[in-house]
Amino acid sequence: MTNPLESKSSFIRNSKKPALDTEERDLLARPRFSLRLHMLLVFILFSFLSMAIIIGSVIAINRIQKKLNFVQSSERYLFDIAQARRWEKNYFLYDTNLEDAVQSAGNAKSLLSQSLEKVITVLSAEETATVLKHLDQYIGLLQELTMLEKNNIKNADKKSEIETSLRQHGAEMVKVAAALVTKEQNSINAMLHLIQRIPIYCLAFALLLTFFASRFLSHRLIKPLNLLIESTQRIAKGDFSPVPPLCKYRGEFSAVEMAINQMCNELKSREVAMVESHKLRAIGTLTAGVAHELNNPLNNIMLTAHAMLEDHNDLSEDELLEMINDLINEADRSRSIVRNLLDFARESESVSEPLDLEALVSETIKLTLNQAKVSGAKIETQIQPDLPRIRGDKQQLKQVFLNLILNALDAVEKNGIVKINVKKADSPGFLAVQVEDNGCGIPAHILPNIFDPFFTTKGPGKGTGLGLSVSHGIITMHGGQISIETEKGKYTKFTVTLPFRTVPAVFNKT
Amino acid sequence: MKEKLDILLLDDEAIVGNRLKPVLEKVGCDVELFEDPKKALNRIREKKFDIVITDIMMPDVNGIQILEEAREKSDITKVIIITGYATVAMAREAMDKGAFDMIAKPFTPDDLRSVIAKAADSLGYKKL
Ligand SMILES: Nc1ncnc2c1ncn2[C@@H]1O[C@H](COP(=O)(O)OP(=O)(O)OP(=O)(O)O)[C@@H](O)[C@H]1O
Ligand SMILES: [Mg+2]
Repeated sequence: MTNPLESKSSFIRNSKKPALDTEERDLLARPRFSLRLHMLLVFILFSFLSMAIIIGSVIAINRIQKKLNFVQSSERYLFDIAQARRWEKNYFLYDTNLEDAVQSAGNAKSLLSQSLEKVITVLSAEETATVLKHLDQYIGLLQELTMLEKNNIKNADKKSEIETSLRQHGAEMVKVAAALVTKEQNSINAMLHLIQRIPIYCLAFALLLTFFASRFLSHRLIKPLNLLIESTQRIAKGDFSPVPPLCKYRGEFSAVEMAINQMCNELKSREVAMVESHKLRAIGTLTAGVAHELNNPLNNIMLTAHAMLEDHNDLSEDELLEMINDLINEADRSRSIVRNLLDFARESESVSEPLDLEALVSETIKLTLNQAKVSGAKIETQIQPDLPRIRGDKQQLKQVFLNLILNALDAVEKNGIVKINVKKADSPGFLAVQVEDNGCGIPAHILPNIFDPFFTTKGPGKGTGLGLSVSHGIITMHGGQISIETEKGKYTKFTVTLPFRTVPAVFNKT
Repeated sequence: MKEKLDILLLDDEAIVGNRLKPVLEKVGCDVELFEDPKKALNRIREKKFDIVITDIMMPDVNGIQILEEAREKSDITKVIIITGYATVAMAREAMDKGAFDMIAKPFTPDDLRSVIAKAADSLGYKKL
């Protein structure tokens, strides 16, 4: 009896391999991008950003400092020029301080030549050249005055001519120097302004970056986690189809995905094995009944054949014909009994086909008629006519109804009644099969356990406790539901609903 | 003593009765045929039969009840039980409750004849 089970499960194991392989191939096709790498990239990006900010501010501060230095020298230059001009004025007013003027102008000149390069970058080369020219001419004029003074030449015309020239060059120089200072100060102000803004810009950029990085991460973390939660809930309900790809990339989550899919495959094959072992037990139970059932037509054939053998000379044509018809009918009856059992017992692949629920339930009831006779119960059937067809696996559905009916027959006393009702369910798109018995009922404290595998209240050797667990799995796979209504000592009513429009998803995949 | 044995034959399979009635009549028995166990039960309450042949597994009323009724009516009545698939527990119960013998389906007319002969013997009818 264990042989078919073994061969079936080994077949499952074989057929499972290629399925895993395609999943693996699909996984390998995805680009490798682990979560660790992802986080590392985000981290590196942030580090680069902060480094850029630091370097940028260091450079900017440096430049401001240089500019400040330059402004300082420019101011000293301006001061020297102004000083020279003051001495110059004194000279013309009181004839003093001419040497001081020359010295101040010389100081200004040396200052200018020291930072000439910088000046060229601030002013244009042309302007610098004019500044130099004015300065040189100014110094030249002062020196000329000194020469006149030394030689004690009193030439009022010459002096006033030099004075106007000096005024002119001096004014130019002051103007340019002042412009230099203002320009540089403006540029410092601009830079300071920029430096004030930088933190605000950086903050905005960092916020933007954080937003995208977190969106990216949540996409990579939250979405797969949610999918995972959904999948585990689905699996817990008994749908063992593989989980959808959790993530576009190969990484930590794909490993989880692989593990879950492997678990699903294991669970699926376990369930198939469980369905199979329960079916074998059910066949065992039925075989006894069917053997008994078979004895009736066999007995009729035997008696009729013997009667014909003994009395063939004395029988009228009509009697003979009647006997032959009996023989044929009884042979037919035996055939259908055997066929009905074989139909259920035959090993076959799980297939989804259009099914007439009425015929399916009737055939199942026939299988149990003998069990009903043994327990002295009556089976009452009520089937709504013209029901739409459903899609599903014939043997598996028979197994479900068989278990419900056998459970009901086990529950009732002598003269119990098992009512079977096939009709349209209250929810649209569903058919309902109800199996109700007026038996012992199910006490509330075991009610939560009856769908657990191996839970049984029947003695050892009588029940495996697989019936309802297996039925639940089968009905879930068909997109239906099993519900139960019971009162201890009064009745138990199981209702199976099955969809008749939609094709169950599981069969599409297989 | 009477000439003929009074036999009640009960089986919910009509063919069984139809075929066995001529067999039993040929060996000189009066046979009353029943398919409905309830009617048979009523008849048993009315009349003392020498032999009651009954199937054990029938809807509503089973062979054990028939046996009990028949034994109550008259304890010399021999009850022969026809069993289908040997339900050992029921068969033992029947024997305990005083069934004369059992025949397992499928059986031949000869099987029945020999059991009837035994029963007739114990009832005191020599030579059927
Ligand atoms: N109609 C019912 N009336 C009362 N109790 C029931 C009924 N159906 C199920 N049960 C309870 O639920 C338990 C589990 O049923 P299930 O069909 O899963 O296993 P089983 O019938 O014990 O074993 P198996 O189906 O393998 O013969 C039963 O042992 C019984 O206690
Ligand atoms: Mg069960």
